[in-house]
Amino acid sequence: MDFSSLPSALESLPNTLGSLFTYHREAPLIFSSGLFWVLFVCFIPLYALMRRRKWQMLVFVIAFSLYFYYKCSGWFFLLLVSTSVIDWFISRAMVQIESSAGRKWLVALSVVISLSILGFFKYANFFLWNWNNMVEGNFQPLTLILPVGISFYTFQSISYIVDVYRKRIAPASTWGEYLFFLSFFPALVAGPIVRAENFLPQIRENRHANHQEIFGGLWLILVGVIKKAVIADYIAQYNDLIFASPGHYTGFESLMGIIGYTMQIYCDFSGYSDMAIGLALIMGFRLDINFNFPYKSKSLTEFWRRWHISLSTWLRDYVYIPMGGNRKGTFRTYINNFLTMLIGGLWHGAAWKFIFWGGMHGVGLIINKLFRPLTSRLDGKAWFDLLAGCITLVYVSLLWVFFRAESFNDAIIIISTIFTDFSPQCILPFIEARALWVGLMAFIIVMHYLPQSFHDRAASDFINSPWIFRLLVLLIVIQLVIEFSEADIAPFIYFQF
Amino acid sequence: MSQQSNKKHPYAWLWILLAVALVAVCLEVIPSIFNFSPKPSGIAKVLFPDKEIAVDSDSIAVDTVPPVIAHEPDTSAHTILFIGDSMLDGLSPRLAAYAAASGHTLYSVVWYSSSTEIWGKSHRLTEYIQKVSPTYIFICLGANELYVKDIEEKRTPFIREMLAEIDTIPYLWIGPPNWVEDTGINKMIADNTAKGSYFKSDGMTFERRTDGAHPTAASAIEWMDSIVRWMPEHSNHPIKMITPEQRTARPEKIFIHQPGEK
Repeated sequence: MDFSSLPSALESLPNTLGSLFTYHREAPLIFSSGLFWVLFVCFIPLYALMRRRKWQMLVFVIAFSLYFYYKCSGWFFLLLVSTSVIDWFISRAMVQIESSAGRKWLVALSVVISLSILGFFKYANFFLWNWNNMVEGNFQPLTLILPVGISFYTFQSISYIVDVYRKRIAPASTWGEYLFFLSFFPALVAGPIVRAENFLPQIRENRHANHQEIFGGLWLILVGVIKKAVIADYIAQYNDLIFASPGHYTGFESLMGIIGYTMQIYCDFSGYSDMAIGLALIMGFRLDINFNFPYKSKSLTEFWRRWHISLSTWLRDYVYIPMGGNRKGTFRTYINNFLTMLIGGLWHGAAWKFIFWGGMHGVGLIINKLFRPLTSRLDGKAWFDLLAGCITLVYVSLLWVFFRAESFNDAIIIISTIFTDFSPQCILPFIEARALWVGLMAFIIVMHYLPQSFHDRAASDFINSPWIFRLLVLLIVIQLVIEFSEADIAPFIYFQF
Repeated sequence: MSQQSNKKHPYAWLWILLAVALVAVCLEVIPSIFNFSPKPSGIAKVLFPDKEIAVDSDSIAVDTVPPVIAHEPDTSAHTILFIGDSMLDGLSPRLAAYAAASGHTLYSVVWYSSSTEIWGKSHRLTEYIQKVSPTYIFICLGANELYVKDIEEKRTPFIREMLAEIDTIPYLWIGPPNWVEDTGINKMIADNTAKGSYFKSDGMTFERRTDGAHPTAASAIEWMDSIVRWMPEHSNHPIKMITPEQRTARPEKIFIHQPGEK
């Protein structure tokens, strides 16, 4: 740094501060950005000072969370505040009303409001587009900006209201407590979807993080940063080429693009979740694990127990079970499974490709259940586990192509090229030309398949290592991020949901 | 530092850890090891920007535009060779549309992740000049060298080598679309190229692809349009560029080279 430029830098300080309080749509504040870490370094000592006084801590964290959301989504933070006000009043009213019908009306009102807001911002244009196609109408699409993370906090809001209705939880004692839960910045914009029944008691308990949790949280953040800002963002550059020009690459290159995207979406999303869980842990809040090495799954059912766990359990508890779950016979179980996955697909985005993706996962789950009497006898046999793991991985990876490709047709072209133009002569030149891409892919695949005990041991070693060692690791990770970042950071894939 | 006190005040130790790391990164004190020079973080620039960021989506960095050079436009049909890095993915289809509308023939050579050093060392430019016999050359290079420290010392010989290979063929060098402040690549190209042969793209604002670096297809079209508008008054050898009806076209031939190729 050139210190001679310090006076002019100080002159620009008012502009800089002004920029800190201005929303830049093209540059949302995200965990892997340098600005977030500058802010977090300021946040930590204040949080440490205030955490002993619960109210101060609540107000401070809410203010930071709303600021964070403002930097991500602009004035939409007022929508979040409004949702919290409506939910809180409805939940308090539910406690005071004795009649079952009255409580039902209230829960329905809250859910309708939440889903209407979500539906308007996320699905209005999708509906108009389909309507125009059906009736050859000419409704103009609305100029809508999707508030960042609206799908996540809407689901949190619904689960809170439904749980209060079911009397599983007591409502938040104050509006501040509820707003803290709904706006909690680590999980606000891309999950995990936090459940009030797990989170509200932690606010009331106001427990303080210990050494293990604080540095365990830091470890998770570092792992998340590596996954997102180093691996996912780097391997995405090649994957984007394949998906941008379907059919322009050989089958082998397309296959690498598919495997690459399979790992990219895992690293991107689980990396974000790791950072969110780590940040919460540093603040003394325990969020449930959201990804548990999903590509180790030996069936699609197991995959959904390991992938985006907070979403799949939410869908199970608030969609699948209320529809009847597995209590209404085999056929209805299959239908319920299928419909739940369709809704899960639609949650990911307002496009037919997401519905198709969800529906095909539903079909896969049905096939999985149909064959369970046969497969349960083979479970545990090494050859079968390997075969089942491979089939699951291939199925999941192929469906990611439909999830990522611009159109159904593009997805078919990319997949069919593997069978029509594999071009094995490309393998060696590919490895030679894209050695770093291949190396990073090999690294993440190996890390993914290492046993849990290895990861636990690495975390434990980091937590208990000398301070200077931790500093060294931190510096290496930061420098790696800088080295690998071609530019401004690519947004998290799951931001759009 | 004892582990005991470390465990007693974990927030204080975490804060010190983060603060030290942040300061180290801001001050860019991480040393070069062997041949590896760490990239600057740019965090200090975010906190203390020393210039306004251009906001006009189609602006030209006026301070870098050389004085108007009164050249009669060359209306003959040219064989154009367009070489460079992955930025050609966006620029080349638009230039191809201009070429088709104006009667030129365009050959594009995309060398992914390439730099002036890679081109200068490989002498591939000479190979392509011999292969297609261009009468005009466009170059878009520099995006992969925004972070290089001591750039003048390290890269000037390669730029000079490339210009020597071009020899007397008229050319236009399109500067990188900076997404961060560079360490001197723009100045170095401007210093070494002939007057009116360098279009500085720094100072323009682009819509970027998700990688944050490459302009989107639409933005790259605007980029090429800006270059074409700039040429008649500022280029030392403006050529005929008729605005095409089609947004993009395919060059006569595209040659592709992968990163790491020699």
